[in-house]
Amino acid sequence: MDIFFQQLVNGLTIGSIFALVALGYTMVYGIMKLINFAHGDLVAMSAFVGLSVYDQFLGGTTNSLVAVLTIFAATGVIIAMAGIILERVAYRPLRNAPRLSAVVSALGASLVIQNGIMLIWGPRMRFFPADILPATTWNIGGVYISFIQVVILVVSLLIMAGLIFFIDKTRVGAAIRATSIDHDASRLMGIDVNRIITLIFVIGTFLGAVGGLFIGLYYRGINFNMGWNYGLYAFVAAIIGGIGNIPGAMVGGMLLGIFKAFIAGYVSSTWADAFTFTLLIAILVVRPTGIMGERVAEKV
Amino acid sequence: MNKMVRVITAFLLFFALSGASAMASDTIKIGVQAPTTGQYANEGQGIDQGVRLIAEQINAKGGILGKQIEIFTCDDEGTAMKAAICAKDLVNKGVIGVIGSYTSTCAEAAQATYYRAGVLQTTDGTSDTLTEHGYWTFFRNSFPNSAEATYTANYFINVKKYKRIAIVTDFSSYSTGLGSSVEAEIKKLGGNIVYQGKIKAGAQNYTPVLTKIKSKHPDVIYFSGYYNEAGLLRSQQMQLGVTADFYGSNACDNPDYIKLAGKFAEGSYLINVPSPELLPYDLAINFLKDYRAKYKMDPPSIWTLLNIDGMRAFLYAIEQTGTTDTKKLAEYLHTIKDYPGITGPIQWAPDGNRTGSAHQTYEYQADGSKKIIYPVVK
Repeated sequence: MDIFFQQLVNGLTIGSIFALVALGYTMVYGIMKLINFAHGDLVAMSAFVGLSVYDQFLGGTTNSLVAVLTIFAATGVIIAMAGIILERVAYRPLRNAPRLSAVVSALGASLVIQNGIMLIWGPRMRFFPADILPATTWNIGGVYISFIQVVILVVSLLIMAGLIFFIDKTRVGAAIRATSIDHDASRLMGIDVNRIITLIFVIGTFLGAVGGLFIGLYYRGINFNMGWNYGLYAFVAAIIGGIGNIPGAMVGGMLLGIFKAFIAGYVSSTWADAFTFTLLIAILVVRPTGIMGERVAEKV
Repeated sequence: MNKMVRVITAFLLFFALSGASAMASDTIKIGVQAPTTGQYANEGQGIDQGVRLIAEQINAKGGILGKQIEIFTCDDEGTAMKAAICAKDLVNKGVIGVIGSYTSTCAEAAQATYYRAGVLQTTDGTSDTLTEHGYWTFFRNSFPNSAEATYTANYFINVKKYKRIAIVTDFSSYSTGLGSSVEAEIKKLGGNIVYQGKIKAGAQNYTPVLTKIKSKHPDVIYFSGYYNEAGLLRSQQMQLGVTADFYGSNACDNPDYIKLAGKFAEGSYLINVPSPELLPYDLAINFLKDYRAKYKMDPPSIWTLLNIDGMRAFLYAIEQTGTTDTKKLAEYLHTIKDYPGITGPIQWAPDGNRTGSAHQTYEYQADGSKKIIYPVVK
């Protein structure tokens, strides 16, 4: 039984990261009906920015909590700005163009960011220091949970709860929901659609930045081309949950993480990916709009 | 008129395809096919830098046969697709020999192209499949997986007497090849394998596989694969409280392994031919000194030096035979006996395998250095 719970913990940890990244895909899709393929690369970039912030400004800091908070705040701001620039440069000029043009632009932006990371930080793997967070591990009846895993789970859940509250209960959240339904009608109601889209990119890329920093802090090795890997799984998670749907992205990410862990644990790690994508196809056959996709009215 | 065009085209094609040896050129062109970017960038750049260092030294002395050496590098990014493109590119540039690539997968993807063009190839790839095609252009500068597999199985079963063995590989041809050879050798010696599975290189999250392995209670985990995955496997293994010994195969030999595994590197093991700083030969000591002087760092691993040995053997053959005809060079390379290399004496079996083996087992110390534990040095 301890093996079962260990796999659950394994799955929830990676699932939280998938979910955070998936939110970026799903929010942009909800508002703009656009798959932001550059999102995964912004996630990779955030890990590099976080590492640079730590190296350049906090090199000698021993107070780990302050260091971690500074990394998250500084990286979040920088990556959110990158998100705004991305939207202005790559997507806004194509807002009224055919949807395929925007997809090509997204793929191009993805390559530009990926190669940009390579030019700035180099093609070699970079490493987060091991001592930013305490390396404590708890053994609860044979199930091992490390401090960083707890941080990833708790912070992800808090962020997601905050996001749902923000979308469902605030005036800006209502404006976001309205924009996702109809741009023109929203404009007639006095909503600044451009500002809402910018806001969506800020929130989406900020969540991605948190995910990217978790990848760096947990796995420690970061690579300029790792955005594709995490981006692909997060994209799959967003589709499983129903793309455009915020709780769907969270459920999709967690499900994908747990599913991958259980397949590797109980069936075969060799076939983990084959089963994962079979699951995706099966879900789409049964529910073409994804698990939570039927709540069209709440699409964001 | 039409006929004339066809004849001219045929002539042009003939000259284009007849390759470098037929073309009069005033330099000796050598290609480097290596992953200078991507996840094996560290190793790829080492190979490229090493080759350029040797070329520079020889050119400073007036070159070979009175000609300067010209180096062309193609980045295969460690992927088979790019490797095939690189092979065509380097052949078109008219190189007579290619150094690389780092991974067996990439060497194999490029192999047939070099063979058809009559271009010599030397790689550190250890996958046994590389020499199974019988290409006369192919020269392995490392020792094949089968030699390492025999050593590993013997060490596990007869020396350490492990009772429950877990084997992990990734999907590359090097990794699966070595993994299945080790498995076969262990079974031959009557060993008990309790788990065998594959992980996806680059996925970073290996806790599900390790948890599965934990449920099998192994006393040793053997990973045949590359250093990135090895480092993550080791650190995640310890975080999950799996106490089995951890052994990495030859491609885990890289400083990045220690960076990824962190404090958990201590007490893990590595099976490989000697690392650069442990080589006893004067050639090796001098090469390391020159490399440090030029690049202000150490070569990433033994793989750089093995590839350099392949290159040195090619140049030696050109010097001895006085020709750049690759067919003659290949014939000569098969006849050399105990040519002094940086990594030890070099000679080749008819299938292109480097003969001999020098494998050792190392234990990582707290300071990141490696201590030889088997065979015991007297």
